[in-house]
Amino acid sequence: MVPAVSAASIRVGVDVGGTFTDLVVLVGGELSFAKVPSTPHDQSVGVMSALGAAGVNAGAVDAFAHGTTVATNALLERRGARAALLTTAGFRDVIEIARQTRPSLYDLRERPPEPLVPRELRFTVRERVEPTGEVESLDEDGLAAAVEAIRRADVDAVAVCFLFSFVDGAHERRAGEVLRSQLPDVEVSLSSEVLPEFREYERFSTTTADAYLSPRLNGYLARLRARLAEAGLPRPLVMQSSGGVIDLDAVAGRASSCILSGPAAGVIGAAFAAGASGHSNLLTFDMGGTSTDVALVVDGEVQTTTGAVIDGIPIKHPMVDVHTVSAGGGSIGWADAGGALRVGPHSAGAVPGPASYGLGGIEPAVTDATLFLGFLADGARLGGEIVLRRDAAEAALASVGERLGLSPLEAALGVVRVAEAEMVQALRVISVERGFDPRLFTLVAFGGAGGLHACRLAEELELSTVLVPRASGVLSALGLAISDLRRDYVRPFICDLSKLDRVAVDAAFAELERLAAADLDRPVFRRLADVRYRGQAFELTVVADDVDLLGAGFAAAHRRRYGFEMPDEPIQVVNIRLTATVPVPKPRLAAPVIDAVTSPRTRPAYVDDEWRELAVFRGDELAPGRRIQGPAIVEFPEATCLVHSGWGATVDVTGALVLERS
Amino acid sequence: MSVDRLSAIDPVTLSVFVSALAGVAEEMGAVLVRSSYSSNIKERRDCSCALFDANGRMIAQAEHIPVHLGAMQEAVAAVRERAPEPGDVFMLNDPFSGGTHLPDITLVGAVDVDGEIVGYTVTRAHHSDVGGMTPGSMPAGSRSIYQEGIIIPPLRLLRAGVYDEPLLELVLANVRTPQIRRADLYAQVAAGSVGGERLRALIGRYGLDFVRAAFDEVIAYAERRTRDVLRRLPDGTYTAAGEIEGDGVVDADIPIRVAATIAGDSLRIDFTGTAEPVPGNVNCPRSVTRSACLFALRVLLPPDVPTNAGTSAPLEIVFPQPSLVDARPPSAVVAGNVETSQRIADVVLAALSQVVDLPAAGQGTMNNVIIGGADWTYYETIGGGQGASSTGPGPSGVHVGMSNTLNTPIEALELEFPLRIESYQLRYGSGGDGIHCGGDGIERRIRVLEPATLSLLSDRRRHAPAGKDGGLAGACGQNLLDGAPLPPKKTCEIGPQQVVSVLTPGGGGWGKPRRA
Repeated sequence: MVPAVSAASIRVGVDVGGTFTDLVVLVGGELSFAKVPSTPHDQSVGVMSALGAAGVNAGAVDAFAHGTTVATNALLERRGARAALLTTAGFRDVIEIARQTRPSLYDLRERPPEPLVPRELRFTVRERVEPTGEVESLDEDGLAAAVEAIRRADVDAVAVCFLFSFVDGAHERRAGEVLRSQLPDVEVSLSSEVLPEFREYERFSTTTADAYLSPRLNGYLARLRARLAEAGLPRPLVMQSSGGVIDLDAVAGRASSCILSGPAAGVIGAAFAAGASGHSNLLTFDMGGTSTDVALVVDGEVQTTTGAVIDGIPIKHPMVDVHTVSAGGGSIGWADAGGALRVGPHSAGAVPGPASYGLGGIEPAVTDATLFLGFLADGARLGGEIVLRRDAAEAALASVGERLGLSPLEAALGVVRVAEAEMVQALRVISVERGFDPRLFTLVAFGGAGGLHACRLAEELELSTVLVPRASGVLSALGLAISDLRRDYVRPFICDLSKLDRVAVDAAFAELERLAAADLDRPVFRRLADVRYRGQAFELTVVADDVDLLGAGFAAAHRRRYGFEMPDEPIQVVNIRLTATVPVPKPRLAAPVIDAVTSPRTRPAYVDDEWRELAVFRGDELAPGRRIQGPAIVEFPEATCLVHSGWGATVDVTGALVLERS
Repeated sequence: MSVDRLSAIDPVTLSVFVSALAGVAEEMGAVLVRSSYSSNIKERRDCSCALFDANGRMIAQAEHIPVHLGAMQEAVAAVRERAPEPGDVFMLNDPFSGGTHLPDITLVGAVDVDGEIVGYTVTRAHHSDVGGMTPGSMPAGSRSIYQEGIIIPPLRLLRAGVYDEPLLELVLANVRTPQIRRADLYAQVAAGSVGGERLRALIGRYGLDFVRAAFDEVIAYAERRTRDVLRRLPDGTYTAAGEIEGDGVVDADIPIRVAATIAGDSLRIDFTGTAEPVPGNVNCPRSVTRSACLFALRVLLPPDVPTNAGTSAPLEIVFPQPSLVDARPPSAVVAGNVETSQRIADVVLAALSQVVDLPAAGQGTMNNVIIGGADWTYYETIGGGQGASSTGPGPSGVHVGMSNTLNTPIEALELEFPLRIESYQLRYGSGGDGIHCGGDGIERRIRVLEPATLSLLSDRRRHAPAGKDGGLAGACGQNLLDGAPLPPKKTCEIGPQQVVSVLTPGGGGWGKPRRA
């Protein structure tokens, strides 16, 4: 049971990233931050040192929420557990065959991602269920033999995935019972529990990922819990991919539901910060070192998907719909064989990093181009140790420019323009391709360099407003601190709408609500259903609070998303879903306190086709109500914003910079 | 070294335009997939979109399956012969006038700025039924195109932006699932109009003259990249041969011969010696043959080379007359697109592999299975082994060559059809042995629970996918009915509880296997 929390409480959000561990403390509406180096060998060490750096009084903390990349990294680096798969005889290779597609149309050597469980650890047993129920009973002797083989294989986890277990999970439960009694140290994931939905590959894939990741995540969470308890802090809440937090114990058995823990927290934080500034329809734009993440927020609601594929592995849990392109600050500009200037997908990474880091990089990265153009300061310090060197950036730009007949200046402008074209494409994918007109949205820019490109992206997409939140360097940690508690439930309910028995539907929802009420303290429910025209390959998730309105709701959703409806086609319900949340009262972000104000400096920067002396403001010295006319540069402790000509920036009551076309 | 450029378009604008044009085609594809109804388009992604300039040159394409690669220029050429006006959207599927096989319906929309045509949008989608002798319009035993469905020459589906309802009514009266066809055609029109809007926006922003110059440069760029690759290959003529195992009427091998000549920075593919047209349906229209050749060329290129008219400019194809690979009316052609195209790509790649380090042969077939009853049709293609290469083993259980469509989930198809899948697993060891082994084929066993008609269109049942550089061949495929072998192409009636087994070929191995 997780207790509800009050608004005046002290909430702590800690986000563990690859380089830094960020911490946000919220006392009422007062925000404070800390940033310390991450400790990859044991992330909980960095978490404790961030708490120390922030001077948090452990005993006073009411809620501690945590975003972790342990499951993400274990999946991306394929360093999960040694896991086995037990499946229906005749279907041993479902996770290897996948959907029969090859990853690249024309690169005949490229291999599909290796399945998380190799052939020799995939075991079968005779049994069969059909859409209408069991047609072949579970072979108990075969099960005993398979369990013995799994014991000899010495695995840490087993995924049990039988065909049609979403119709009848009895065979899976029986296999789970035998496995748990015979192999008490092995984690067992049943597909009928992890993801009781139809379509075998996606269910098997999600369940296998669960088994593969759970032992590692569980070990980490156990260590973290012990350290926090020692320090007198409350038991941690963990961010799930859905954008809601949940008690550590609930995650322990469901590693597959928190693979996108980190990015989800960032979008939640961006939505919260933008909401505090009065914006609820958002395109979030998070520019990192190697990539850029974009996401969509509609009416304050972070958009989720159940169709995510993470590094080639489909994970069908609800996840914040984040689209990633490989254009970040470290993406490298180069001349191709056809005489075009290209940027990425190769990245300079952290080492050697962009040429201007002076750590041995000789190719020009996006950061080098923005430094050369004066948007970043020559000699600026990044993360304390790295000092940006403009001469190194210039040399790298000159060398690629020479190959294309471009001056270093033209090369710098070109690298920025080409990278921005990729980012525009990403923003179009997340909006236009999802059926939304980007012009109706506010662009929320974060990450160190997000604000440098925001005006140009807004111009390309014809957006009128850009928001750079004050906490843009620690939005993920902020998102953690204010996230609602949430759990998602799904059950198959395959039935034509015309034959739907509303008593049966109510009973099915009521059953999910009973489960949720046992997992959470007085949750708020939202009933949803996955619906399609019969025979369609995709469903739309629509609100199902009133079953009588389901048909109309589906038709409207279909029209909105796809542009038409088909009144004569039979509508079919496929799954029912329940989202249970315990809302956290949202604090009002207090206006920043300005200690001292220095007059703006200037530096030369290349804007509007000429070198100009631009005013450079310190973001943390700008009081609410302050207006700045572009062109100008605003430097925050961890981020820089370029205000273009024709744009005006205003500091709002939360300390955020609101850029609007004048 | 500085790259020679004879254009007003600088390297940055070039890069931005290549990306923007690819984005337009991809956005059209996303709209088409999103707004179509049928699973064949929506889930299997058997569709493609492209943008052409006013002169009928392709400037960008988003293809989801390779068989549509570069096969659209005939469609635009056929439409341009009919004097398109602003706002017209033509519809066609005639394989002898811009089409491929009848289920692929192509729409070509004329895009104008102030009444002047500035380009064309093209969408092509595989419709799951276009009439003809069998549900699904993929008959294994057709002998003329008239048995394969309704033939649509290039006709205006929209005239000046208004639907020609009588034409649509006529077409829909000739297909088995008119409502779904209508929805899918609307989706194609929607995708085309998005492409038109984006093209007009580019012109509005940069001006028509600049955009025209950019089109020229983008095409010239793809051509430079392609010629750059060809120039590095040794000049010479390289030959290879293969065969199609029967045409669905006579179960005899049909030879395909290729002489590929690399001369400087160009490639000529000559089919002299290939069989003449056959009575069955493995005849290949010219546009399909072209796309198979272009696929082979595309395999040689780095993946970031854009697909446009420049990519195919260095390629010349010589069609002997008459020929299997240049079908003429009223030949049956439905399997030309799905099977003959595979073999053409295989043989061209086999010829080129004498001078390029390419993988061994893959399964070389799509293993088309069509099972239909009174009011239902199940159509599936089954993956197999990919060939191994010098850098690693071949992937198992994937589509190779000209197809890359998704499978139908077992749990979805058993909900819908009176079928029970008894097994769906890899044929371990079916990939050819070698230093690197070929990928394994798939075993799929289907128990039919009601009387049904079975059609199989498959190949590589007696000629195995070859190994490379000492690697052994992959295992042949097999078609079985209750354990008794069936020929590669077969249509027959089957009864309840009969079991159809399709065992797909393994890929060839690479390098002489080490013996213990």
